[in-house]
Amino acid sequence: MNRKVIALLLGGFSLLLLATFFYGLFYASDPQSIPSALIGKEAKNFTLTTFEGQTIELKQFRGKPVVLNFWASWCVACKAEAHIMEAAHQKYTPRGAVFIGIAFNDKREDSLAFIRRYGKTYLLGPDNEVGDISLNYGITAAPETFFIDEQGIIVHKVLGAVTPEVIRDFLEERLP
Amino acid sequence: MKTPVLFALLLILPAALFGEETLDQRVREIAHQLRCPTCQAMSVKESEAGLATNMKMKIREMLREGKSEKEILAFFVQRYGEWILRSPKKEGINLLLWFSPGILIALAALGLFFRLKGKNAHTHTTDLPPLSAQEKAEINQALKEIEP
Repeated sequence: MNRKVIALLLGGFSLLLLATFFYGLFYASDPQSIPSALIGKEAKNFTLTTFEGQTIELKQFRGKPVVLNFWASWCVACKAEAHIMEAAHQKYTPRGAVFIGIAFNDKREDSLAFIRRYGKTYLLGPDNEVGDISLNYGITAAPETFFIDEQGIIVHKVLGAVTPEVIRDFLEERLP
Repeated sequence: MKTPVLFALLLILPAALFGEETLDQRVREIAHQLRCPTCQAMSVKESEAGLATNMKMKIREMLREGKSEKEILAFFVQRYGEWILRSPKKEGINLLLWFSPGILIALAALGLFFRLKGKNAHTHTTDLPPLSAQEKAEINQALKEIEP
C-alpha cells in the first residue's frame, strides 16, 4: 500500500478519534445539551393525587394543550420560574390550557410551604417515592417542563427555568 | 414446639438473606451500566444523587417484578435515550467507536512497518551519484601516498 495513503488514513482516523473524544467530553456527557428522547412521542399517562386531594389523569386532558412542570422546593431555578408558571396559568387556563406541576424528590411539607410562599394555584401534586412519573419522563434535574399538544404528543421540553416566551409561543397558536 | 420453629427459621433466614444479597448485586450490576443523569462521569451505582437513588429503586422494583436486565436497560434507554448507557451498543454507527482504536493501531503498525522497510532498503542501496574524474584522481593520489 502506498505510504501516503496509509499516512492519510492514519491522520483521518486520529482526527475522528479526537473528534469523538471531545464530543464525548464536552457534549455527550452533559445532559443539558442532549435532546430528549421523548420529543415527538406520546406523553405517558399518569395518575396524580394533588396536594388538595384531587385525583387527576393526564389522559383526561386530551384535546387541550398541557404544560407539565417538574419542580422541587430545594431547586433554585424552580423559585425563579414559580411566578412565571403561576402567571401563565392565570392567563391561559381560562382559555383552555392545563398546567400541572409535579413535585419531584421533595418532602411534602416543604412542597406545601413552597406552594404557599409562591402562591401557586394550578394542579400540583407529589410524585411517588420511586419517582415513577419523573422517571417515565426521563427527568435529569428540576425544573423540567414538557409541552404536550392536544393529541397528547410531547412537542417541546425545557431544561431549567421556563420563560414566559416559551409558554406563550406554545399556547398562543393552540388556544382560541 | 420451639425446636421446629427455630429449625424453620434457620432454613428460611439464610435463603431470605442470600436472596436479598443477590438482588442487591443485580441492582448494582445494572446501575453500573447506567449513567447518572444529574452528575457527570458517574454511574448510577456510584452516585448518591436523588435521581440516581430513584433509578436504583426502580431497578430493584423491576427486578422484583421479574423483568430482565435487557428489559430494564431498554426502559431507561426509551426514556433517556441511548446516552444513558455508559457503553454504547455494539451496532450501527457505534461500531466505528468500538473498532476505531483497533483500526488506528493497525494503521500505525502498518505505517511503521513501511517506514522501517523503506529505511532499511535505503541503507542497502547505493544510488549515490558516480564519482567525477577529478574525485577519482584525488582518491588514486591519496592511495598512492598511503601505499609504501
